[in-house]
Amino acid sequence: MDTPKTPPSVIPHQLVRYAILMYWSIFWLFNLLDKIIGGAHFLWVGRDRFAQFQKYFASTGLDSPHIANAALAVAGALEAFAFVFFAGALIHELQKNRETARRWCFVGTLLTLATFTFFSLGDHWFGDRFELLEHTLFWFISLASYLVFTHLKETGMEEQSGNWPRRQVVTTAAVSAILMILTSTAIFQHNTTDFRLRTEPITAQEVGDNIYKVAFPFLGGSTVFEQSLAQFKKSHPDKAIQHIYTVPKPLRLKKADALIFYIITEDQP
Amino acid sequence: MNEKSILRLSILVFWTFFWGLSVTDKIIPDVQFLWVGKDFFALFVKFFGSLGLKDPLFATTALAGVSALEALNFALYFTATLSFAKGDRALTEKWFFRAILSSMVLFSLFSIADQVFGDRFQLLEHGLFWLILLASWIAFKHIPVPEGQPLHWTPTAASKRAILIGAVLTLVTTWSIWDFADDTFDNVDRPVSGIEVVDGIYKFDFPFLADKLVWEKTVQTFQSQNPDLSIDYIYTGPSELNSKKKTHLLLYIFTRPNG
Repeated sequence: MDTPKTPPSVIPHQLVRYAILMYWSIFWLFNLLDKIIGGAHFLWVGRDRFAQFQKYFASTGLDSPHIANAALAVAGALEAFAFVFFAGALIHELQKNRETARRWCFVGTLLTLATFTFFSLGDHWFGDRFELLEHTLFWFISLASYLVFTHLKETGMEEQSGNWPRRQVVTTAAVSAILMILTSTAIFQHNTTDFRLRTEPITAQEVGDNIYKVAFPFLGGSTVFEQSLAQFKKSHPDKAIQHIYTVPKPLRLKKADALIFYIITEDQP
Repeated sequence: MNEKSILRLSILVFWTFFWGLSVTDKIIPDVQFLWVGKDFFALFVKFFGSLGLKDPLFATTALAGVSALEALNFALYFTATLSFAKGDRALTEKWFFRAILSSMVLFSLFSIADQVFGDRFQLLEHGLFWLILLASWIAFKHIPVPEGQPLHWTPTAASKRAILIGAVLTLVTTWSIWDFADDTFDNVDRPVSGIEVVDGIYKFDFPFLADKLVWEKTVQTFQSQNPDLSIDYIYTGPSELNSKKKTHLLLYIFTRPNG
């Protein structure tokens, strides 16, 4: 009796293997770059890890910057080697040395697991539960991606290279093109009408005796805040600002309201 | 040790430390020298208070129950790790299964409590931990990775090059970290300089390292540098005024001329 044959997979497994190695290589490369660049510069903001580590250690009573530096250096070393091994695995994969690529990916994964275990210990120690969740998720993603990578090696030999139905391709391309034109037009139109809100002052609206309301647009930042205050002072020379009250988030209309604040004034003596 | 064993050990080590430190956090109350942790007692008191159960006995009993389950979890993971170290595969699987089951029960209880207390973010957090535990078990037990072959790492030209590149990158990163720390560590207690952005209103852009002491120094320095001005009001810029992740804290000081 014939055993039923499993239909060949239509997923290009090789591409998924490249994607996994590419993702982790770029992930660790940019983490490393963030540590090497340090601080916010033109075209790079990143995260001030030194300030974060220093504050964490200082919160436990360890104020010396050398402790934060040493912990960051250990994290940096783990990240550097993880990057090198994932990048090496990618090169081997591209050269079709699948077994070597798997071994290099395995070492990269172990270093990744070690890094996130190291971070999780810190999260418990410093009491940062949000970071603990984040690092546990990354720990698991790393483990899962290695298992998927290995699994694809075993099942990815029957990749189908059949032609795509021409009619479906044309329809998909046409729908995508129409949607792209629509969204791009909407975005550029929004830019034309609303980008001025990034810097334009907002006129305060009197809502009570000596109480003025300023409702920010979503684009507004510190420049709008300062310009609005300057405009307010200019248009109300007889008033002195006594207090500014920021409406807390629970009092705003969910996501429809941006920042709202009230200017409380008194008559100039 | 083969690859599957190394992965299993990584999973065991992660969860053993996870529960070990969770228990430690319950044993060490509040913030101490060398330990911050999270004040679960305050959290539980507030949660039960929101239900109308103001007596601290409720929060204390609930926290003691949770801690007992966490201690049990730790003991189960620790026993699984010990069995693993002794090379008893079947026993390791048994203990690890019990540990996973017990941890999933605890996160299920947390999730029920999150719904009662209306904390949806914690519900997401506990749901994710629950899922990761389940997935860890599947990874530990069922997903095939090369079993038989021990991890041979014969040094090749490529692996030697990789170690060299890794070492160079580590040195560059370490140097950069130390250099950045040297450049910015002053911010930990240096007062921030303000700029007058509107007539009588000064803006202070606080660096990431700044804390309450920097705030105090900044206000003192401002007062000593501007004896002809008196501070009317200090406004902390809400996060909406920040340039996303680039700005840490904006502070505005409103002044008026003395006299």
